[in-house]
Amino acid sequence: MSVVSSTANLRTNRPSRLQSWWSGVSIVFESRIATVGLAMVAFWFIVGIVSLFWTPYPPNANEFTQNLSPNSINILGTDHLGRDILSRLMTGTQVILLKTRLPGDAGIDIPGGVALWGVFFSLLVGAVLGLNAGYRGGWWDQSIMQVLDAMIAFPSIVLYLVIIAALGQGDLVVIVAIAVTGAPGVARLVRSLTLDIKTRDYIRAAETRGESVNFILFKEILPNARGPILVDAMLRVGYAIFAIGTLGFLGIGLPPPDPDWGNMVNEARRTIFVNQWAVVWPAVAIATLVIGLNLFADGLREELTRFQK
Amino acid sequence: MARFLLRSIISTFVTVLLVSIALFFLLEVGSGDITVKILGVFSTEEQRASYRAQLGLDAPPWQRYADWLIGNDWRAASYTGFPLVTEDNLQTGEAEWWADVNGELARWTMEDGELFMLTRQPDGSSNQEPAAADVWQIGENGEELFWGVDTKGNAVKWVRGAGEPVWVLTKAGLRQEGDGPRQYIPLRKGLVRLDPGKSLQTSRPVAVTLFPRVRNTLILAGVAFLVVMPLALLLGIIAGINEGKWIDRVISITSLGATATPEFVTGVFLILVFGIWLKWLPAVSVFLSSDAIFQDPKLIALPVLTLTAVELGYVARMTRASMVEVMDSAYIRTAIIKGMPYSRVVLRHAVRNALMAPITIIMLHVNWLIGGVVVVEVLFGFPGLGKYIYDAAIFGDFNAVEAAAMLTVTIAIATRLVGDLAYTFLNPRIRYA
Repeated sequence: MSVVSSTANLRTNRPSRLQSWWSGVSIVFESRIATVGLAMVAFWFIVGIVSLFWTPYPPNANEFTQNLSPNSINILGTDHLGRDILSRLMTGTQVILLKTRLPGDAGIDIPGGVALWGVFFSLLVGAVLGLNAGYRGGWWDQSIMQVLDAMIAFPSIVLYLVIIAALGQGDLVVIVAIAVTGAPGVARLVRSLTLDIKTRDYIRAAETRGESVNFILFKEILPNARGPILVDAMLRVGYAIFAIGTLGFLGIGLPPPDPDWGNMVNEARRTIFVNQWAVVWPAVAIATLVIGLNLFADGLREELTRFQK
Repeated sequence: MARFLLRSIISTFVTVLLVSIALFFLLEVGSGDITVKILGVFSTEEQRASYRAQLGLDAPPWQRYADWLIGNDWRAASYTGFPLVTEDNLQTGEAEWWADVNGELARWTMEDGELFMLTRQPDGSSNQEPAAADVWQIGENGEELFWGVDTKGNAVKWVRGAGEPVWVLTKAGLRQEGDGPRQYIPLRKGLVRLDPGKSLQTSRPVAVTLFPRVRNTLILAGVAFLVVMPLALLLGIIAGINEGKWIDRVISITSLGATATPEFVTGVFLILVFGIWLKWLPAVSVFLSSDAIFQDPKLIALPVLTLTAVELGYVARMTRASMVEVMDSAYIRTAIIKGMPYSRVVLRHAVRNALMAPITIIMLHVNWLIGGVVVVEVLFGFPGLGKYIYDAAIFGDFNAVEAAAMLTVTIAIATRLVGDLAYTFLNPRIRYA
């Protein structure tokens, strides 16, 4: 009887769910670098959400004089077709962070940008492969690592080109490309974490209890490997945005009509003699978003590993 | 050590094999009908089918994979009954396929139902005469058939009196001809014998067109490497020993900015500054001859600068992190407390250990360099391997993409193997039993 009451006592003393969530999140604000990074990322998220409801002008309407420098009407100027750059820049956030366009004429969008879905799938595939390789060992480990070695051997841009040459263009293809290029890195990370966690006593305990392998993998190991995986995911979103920009620049990225930053640079560089601003703005946008994610990940990693030293 | 070496070499071979399978099936089986691209969207279904047969695309995928990897001349030779050999065309310098008929090099052509044998003369021309009547063999269904080599480098099966109408692609467009063969095997020596086939876009052998591109890229990447490495290591070390001071802040922030700025953006700005405003350097790399790179080294100045700007930050950051870690360690503290001159501590004790990590990681990151090279080459119109892959991928020219991609993968894997080995030699703490 006394045992039951003491556990009940402990329950009430535990922090509420909101409190424990906040104590997890507040770690971000203990690092100045992470806070700055988060602010930069949050800025673009907010810009993207605002652009869903309002932009100064329609992003695809060519209603102004071409190649204007920044002025009071078009704050960032206009591009080679007389479209307002600020509106296009704002809308350009959507395809990366906020929406993915499904193929077909219906024009259905699903929430979550191409970069986020790409990283999500690379995490999913990478985590499943890495957990199995690390925990089961032996032949599983050998064969999974062999396949991953083959995938890592591709320079990622060559893999993008190959995938796009084979599957054509589209949002989903870019997601596949990001997932395929990202998965091996995630799998290696998860595998090394698993190899470490596998030796802990609570895993022994779970094995002794007779838990299934899947329970041990996804309920015991994965939650304990969460921190480094999340930091890695942040960096990967940065790489993904970088890659989307590069593909857009090469003219094989996200298809029109939605503006895409990389493609904006590509189009604007043809008129660079007349109007340099049109190149500057999307370039700054990509760079700030990527730097923001990098800083956020760096700061987070510093905070997470502080107590491990 | 020997066991470790053997294991990594076997594993490397398996990796390359897996890569080749993935590449081949993704591109050739996964991609759509390439003949639409070659013949145009207004070509008819019949024309496309004829052209597909001429490319040998009607064969089953596993067979095409084997042909691509290890060649099919030996398979075709078993049909023709003659050894098949390649001989350089004296005018173009490119290899042509001939059948070795009792010491004479021969090819065949069919005109108006008549089979002619073309015999190669020592001066490179060929002598045409009607083929002997006894070359025809009786097939399973009683038809008279003949396996020979045609003038386009295919092993083909002719059936007497039953020529197939074929659509031949000429410079002027498609032309229909009668008397075509029933079956084609486009002859190739295979990837392992360094013949990845013909480009679908230009109909020239991939190996011939790829070589100068690879040379150009090696020059570009090599020069960039020589510029980046000393500079980046130096900056990284300076930032590392001054951790937290303003000079570290400046180097760190600049290198983060340089790394986070995509290479195409850096390149565009460099073009703007040096090519357009200052007019110091050519803004695009136009190659008027294949040796232009040696005649006018200025052509690669901007591409090299762009690559430098992108790679510099990455390597400098890595070196800095490694340097900071080493400078924190106990043995450096001991050396300083011992009263050793600071410069000696840094140069003799810290740098040697700190450079181990960046140098090996650089070897492992050749993949990354190749990625940068693709973008830079496309941006500057530099005729290198990266632009080759890009152009081929856009067209869907899978023969060219496969060859170039296999090459990059092989380079990446080879440098990784070398990096692994270098690491074990450099780092005395790692020994493989």
